[in-house]
Amino acid sequence: MSKNKTAQTRTAAQREQRTEVIASIATVLLFFGILVGFGLVTVFSEKESFSETQNRKLADFPKISGKNIYSGKFTSGVEDYISDHFAGHDRWIAAKTAAELLSGKRERNDIYILDDRLVEKIAEPDMDEVSKSAMGIKQFAEDNHILPYVMIVPTQAEIYKNELPANAPNPDQQAFINDVYSMLDGSAVPIDVYSVMSANKDSYIYYRTDHHWTTQGAFLAYTAAAKKMDITPLSVSDYDIDHASDSFKGTFYSKVLYEGIEPDSIDIWLPADREKEPEVEIYSTFGAEPEIHEGMYFREYLDVKDKYSTFFGTNQPMITIRTGNKGGRLLVFKDSYAHCFVPFMTEHFSEITMVDLRYIQMSYKDIIDVSDYDKVLFLYNASTFMSDRNLKKLMY
Amino acid sequence: MVFSELCFLYYFLPIVMLLYFVSGNKLRNVIIFITGLLFYAWGEPFYVVIMLLSTLIDYTAGRLMDKYDDDNKKRKICLIVSVCMNVGLLAVFKYSDFIFDSINGLLGTSITNPVVLVNRGLNKIYPFGLNEKRVDLPVGISFFTFQSMSYTIDLYLRNIKVQKSFLNFSSYVSLFPQIVAGPIVRYEQVAGELESRTVTVPKISAGAALFVKGLAKKVLLANNVGVIWTQVKAMDYGSISAATAWLGILAFTFQIYFDFSGYSDMASGLGKMLGFEFPKNFDHPYISKSVSEFWRRWHITLGSWFRSYVYIPLGGNRCGAAKTYRNLIIVWALTGLWHGASWNFVLWGLYFGLLIIIERLGFGKVLEKLPSWVSMLYTFIAVVFGWVLFDTDTLSDAGHFIAAMFGAGGSAVDGYFKYTIVSNCFLLVMCILISGGVGSRISEYAGEKSRSFKAVSTAVFVTGGLLLCTAYLVDASYNPFLYFRF
Repeated sequence: MSKNKTAQTRTAAQREQRTEVIASIATVLLFFGILVGFGLVTVFSEKESFSETQNRKLADFPKISGKNIYSGKFTSGVEDYISDHFAGHDRWIAAKTAAELLSGKRERNDIYILDDRLVEKIAEPDMDEVSKSAMGIKQFAEDNHILPYVMIVPTQAEIYKNELPANAPNPDQQAFINDVYSMLDGSAVPIDVYSVMSANKDSYIYYRTDHHWTTQGAFLAYTAAAKKMDITPLSVSDYDIDHASDSFKGTFYSKVLYEGIEPDSIDIWLPADREKEPEVEIYSTFGAEPEIHEGMYFREYLDVKDKYSTFFGTNQPMITIRTGNKGGRLLVFKDSYAHCFVPFMTEHFSEITMVDLRYIQMSYKDIIDVSDYDKVLFLYNASTFMSDRNLKKLMY
Repeated sequence: MVFSELCFLYYFLPIVMLLYFVSGNKLRNVIIFITGLLFYAWGEPFYVVIMLLSTLIDYTAGRLMDKYDDDNKKRKICLIVSVCMNVGLLAVFKYSDFIFDSINGLLGTSITNPVVLVNRGLNKIYPFGLNEKRVDLPVGISFFTFQSMSYTIDLYLRNIKVQKSFLNFSSYVSLFPQIVAGPIVRYEQVAGELESRTVTVPKISAGAALFVKGLAKKVLLANNVGVIWTQVKAMDYGSISAATAWLGILAFTFQIYFDFSGYSDMASGLGKMLGFEFPKNFDHPYISKSVSEFWRRWHITLGSWFRSYVYIPLGGNRCGAAKTYRNLIIVWALTGLWHGASWNFVLWGLYFGLLIIIERLGFGKVLEKLPSWVSMLYTFIAVVFGWVLFDTDTLSDAGHFIAAMFGAGGSAVDGYFKYTIVSNCFLLVMCILISGGVGSRISEYAGEKSRSFKAVSTAVFVTGGLLLCTAYLVDASYNPFLYFRF
């Protein structure tokens, strides 16, 4: 009996020891297996030069030169190259998002991950800088003897503020917009879109995965603007709505690569009675002939990641639209929120020019003559208006 | 190069280790020497020359001391040359800006640091890209000079035998695991291993586990909790709530511990894989029951260096009370200055020197009698206030920050605190548990209960930890190594 027991303990101890040895061999193999495996795949995999998800050019392998090496550019370049092209790059990013969510965080890369949408975290505005932007608009009004319309659109962070994590830092955009409107008092006609956006927050007025508003959101703003601008707006029933895509994953998605949010759809609203699409002139560089595009919708973007660019393409310094309709001429200073808004205005103007001050180095006076225009509209979302420093250029 | 970089992890490490494992004992020091130089030159393509020069001088000093074994005068000269050269390198590359700034501030002059003038001159000869305004600190200079000095001093004191092989000596200095941020391995601690060492599978496995543990401390804990401190540090101390100030400095408290001890773990793990046993550098310092104990558990190799080569040579505590306190003050001022060239650091060192003197004067006895949670809390809070001094940029910032901790910002709690504490709850709890030693206890307990269970869970930990850290590294835009400034 006792002999049997010793034998049993011995085999148990042996088994224990054997497991230990196997486990330590496995540890070594797994450790180096992971390192060598991903290392090799990274070297031999085909390299993309551009990342669609990140919307940026990926790092090239750095040039080997004495100067690069001594300045440390070579080594930091290699590290950038490896991280940009690391095997399974986007999956690692997604894995980090998952790990962060598991640890209880609801915020990643300045994006709040809510149950049914992503929302951008916005920094507190520097009001000194903002008042310079307001000064720019005032100066513009004075110089050109015109009363411009100003529309500052709240972003998701304001409209869905009650859904954000408790106490999440989030500047009050309603107060901000009111502040700016009162700075402009007497020099501009403010257009309130806050009320209409907030009243319709349960409709699909903002993308869930992108920082823009939807065409439906822009339509609400259009009806609000029409009242102020003495325009009789079309109604929803005047449009044929084309569901051009339902697989849009926007800029917020790119920042977190989180699959738990339903992709967005891109809707194109076409007036039912329109016979001919407007002609669009795109000025990407001044002095050269503009590029001509038939129609306002760049449907080739429906097949790529950046689907919002279906509306007038990517941001350009200046775009002129010859609508073929009767009416005056409209000048719009804008950010990209204007791109799905301006098509609604084509019904009421013969010509619309959009200027994006962020892409213009010279004075606006060098590229347009404001006296050619009947109406001027400043259209920005609150986040851009808080952070962009280009409106003050209107002072010169 | 740093350990928490994809380039190191996925290329340098496996290539060096594979070469090392397949080579015989003779080639191994050659591999260590060459890879050490490459590792260092990767981050400091210019200053690698300085490291080599320092190695060469200390090696020669050692050989000469050996040659003139009976001539004490000549031996002393060799030692003085070696110490002056190492301290001189520190003075030039680490402290010259501080020295000239202090002089200029005091006298109202505007003397340019001559080292900067040399940089400008060198840049004219060849576009080295040297800094023309300030002196850039060569990575790891505070570590490799101290290591090198341990050799010549111990040789002079006849604690060790001379190293005749330049290869073996330079392998010691350029041993890549410890070159950048320690631990400060003294020559005598690895003298035997430099001649011959064994590499076995259990050692490699244990090394890998220790490495991944350190990597996880750095990448998963230090970097993430550090984000909180970065945010709080940048705020206006005049208007932050007391809770936010405390949260911020506690975040730094954890960040610096996990950053530094993580780096030491990674170094020791790599050392193990190469067949070296490095001395322990951290032993759960935040559960110390006195400041004196804290310093026996925090950066242990630095403390023991100063004890062996400064405190004891000065007479230690054997020459009466007055001299003991003088010696303590010198050691702690130097310890502070070692951490960085600014008055904040000197004051930080003296602050600990003062607390240790108070403890020696009798407060230590009181602490022993108090319930252990009280003495732990005292020590922890004393250390946390030390970190304010350590990581704010100027003395006046430190003052304002401490005021904010006592409510000078006007409120007790604000939205930032509430939001941040909730979203980082899991992270902070992990920081508390692991720095408190719960993780190590569990692992020890598992090892006693069942060695096979521990071995299997180690394999799982290494795999999971490495993959998770990789996800964070691929994503990393925030990955500064705190200990690079020293």
